[in-house]
Amino acid sequence: MTSPSALARRAAPMFACIGLLAVWQVASLALKNDSFPTAIEAIRAIPDILGDKESLINILASLRRMAIGFGIAVLVSIPLGLLMGRSRAVAAFFNPLLMVIYPVPKAALMPIIMLWLGVGDITKTLVIFLGVSLPVIYHSFEGAKAVEEKMLWSGAAMGLSPLQRLVRIVLPAALPEILTGCRTGLVLALITMITSEMIARQSGAGNILFNALDMGQYDTVYAMIIIVGAMGICLDAVFERVRARLVRWSEPQFDMPLSFS
Amino acid sequence: MMPRSLSANVIFGLAPIVLVIALWQGLVSFGFAPVVLLPPPGVVFGRLLKQLVTWTFQQEIAATLIRLFAGFAIAVVLGVSIGIAAAASPAINAIVRPIVRVLAPLPKVALYPALLLLLGFGHGSKITLVAADALFPILLSTYYGASTVEQKLIWSAMAAGTRRYEILFKVVLPAAMPSILTGCRIGLVICCIVVFLAEMITSTDGLGHVLVTAARTFQAVDMFVPLIAISLLGLILNGLLGAVRSYLLRGFPEA
Repeated sequence: MTSPSALARRAAPMFACIGLLAVWQVASLALKNDSFPTAIEAIRAIPDILGDKESLINILASLRRMAIGFGIAVLVSIPLGLLMGRSRAVAAFFNPLLMVIYPVPKAALMPIIMLWLGVGDITKTLVIFLGVSLPVIYHSFEGAKAVEEKMLWSGAAMGLSPLQRLVRIVLPAALPEILTGCRTGLVLALITMITSEMIARQSGAGNILFNALDMGQYDTVYAMIIIVGAMGICLDAVFERVRARLVRWSEPQFDMPLSFS
Repeated sequence: MMPRSLSANVIFGLAPIVLVIALWQGLVSFGFAPVVLLPPPGVVFGRLLKQLVTWTFQQEIAATLIRLFAGFAIAVVLGVSIGIAAAASPAINAIVRPIVRVLAPLPKVALYPALLLLLGFGHGSKITLVAADALFPILLSTYYGASTVEQKLIWSAMAAGTRRYEILFKVVLPAAMPSILTGCRIGLVICCIVVFLAEMITSTDGLGHVLVTAARTFQAVDMFVPLIAISLLGLILNGLLGAVRSYLLRGFPEA
């Protein structure tokens, strides 16, 4: 289990992080640009942000919105995607609508939804929900479509009702694919969260980032970038753990995540 | 049989879109939503048609398209070459894999302030952001496609005396093509989204800028126009890519 090569593979992302930070450090030293602080300066600014109570509350509020939006999106999208995958009629009904919505940047709906619902939590959570649901629907759809017919037939022969078949055969069989969608959705939730907050400048991590940019506090800008990036990497790693546990039987199709925006 | 069921499907699929527009119209005409906040669909589409023929709006679309294509092209070239290199050579794979693992889940939009500071407010920062966001899906699906090429194909090519670098172009690249094109499709949608967002955040032209200007002056009609424009743009580009796909994959079993 912990052979040297496995250990090296596990530590490789860590080395990559250090390597990227080192490249940054050298580049900023070489450029000597006021608006491009060195990596060490940026890292030094992180404790100031995380130590400040107000910004910490802001970041936690962002994360809460993201969790709620992601949770609702997953709960709605997986059943819809599975139904689309198993029923041709449902798929034909929803596919064109989803295709029209897909290229619209969800965060771009912010200004319009803001007009209706105000600048509060509901608007931002709704936008995150919209952003997450499309990839999850898409992957659940693909997963459910690929379920082997024979298993469904056996299930039907043993007297399972259509709903039972959906829950007990299609859902587990499509789970690896669904989780790939959820992973994409997770990255997307983070992106939508940041963008929605920089469009409605009121609170949250995106607000801190872009306020710092406007006020020329460049080390805060870069420190926030590191914080947000670390959030993305940590969430992804945690999700990967959960995924590995849930679908231990299946080989990971993409061991590197597919990012979406 | 086939064309008939296809057209039935098309009508069936158009139904929800028509429903949404009808619901939209209904909300307005029954007075649930004030016209100021939710303009009726007829007005919005009318404004879109009127705008499409004006020179200024065409210029905004052109600005968006230039950034979109430049970013997408960079992402395709880099993504495909890095992906194939990582699949072909274990040494490159060992370097690329951990870096991708770290960079792919990173929300690229958060890098935008840094890109603004480094590259300025012009095309450069936006194209870089678009390319960075579209790069990873293309890279990953290229890598996936190239690393699952059947070994027998490569052996046969080697037995037939093909040189190593020729195998890359003659065997691996064509075999990975379906997967690459799937990645490109995802990348293209991402390009549409990101270019719009970047223009919303800071820009002086482009569709995203049109939306922000309209939002600042509370012109609800003008806010819907760029959104519908980018949706149509995405559909058209997706259709074009589909055409390219069916041309490139002619002869594949299930293209």
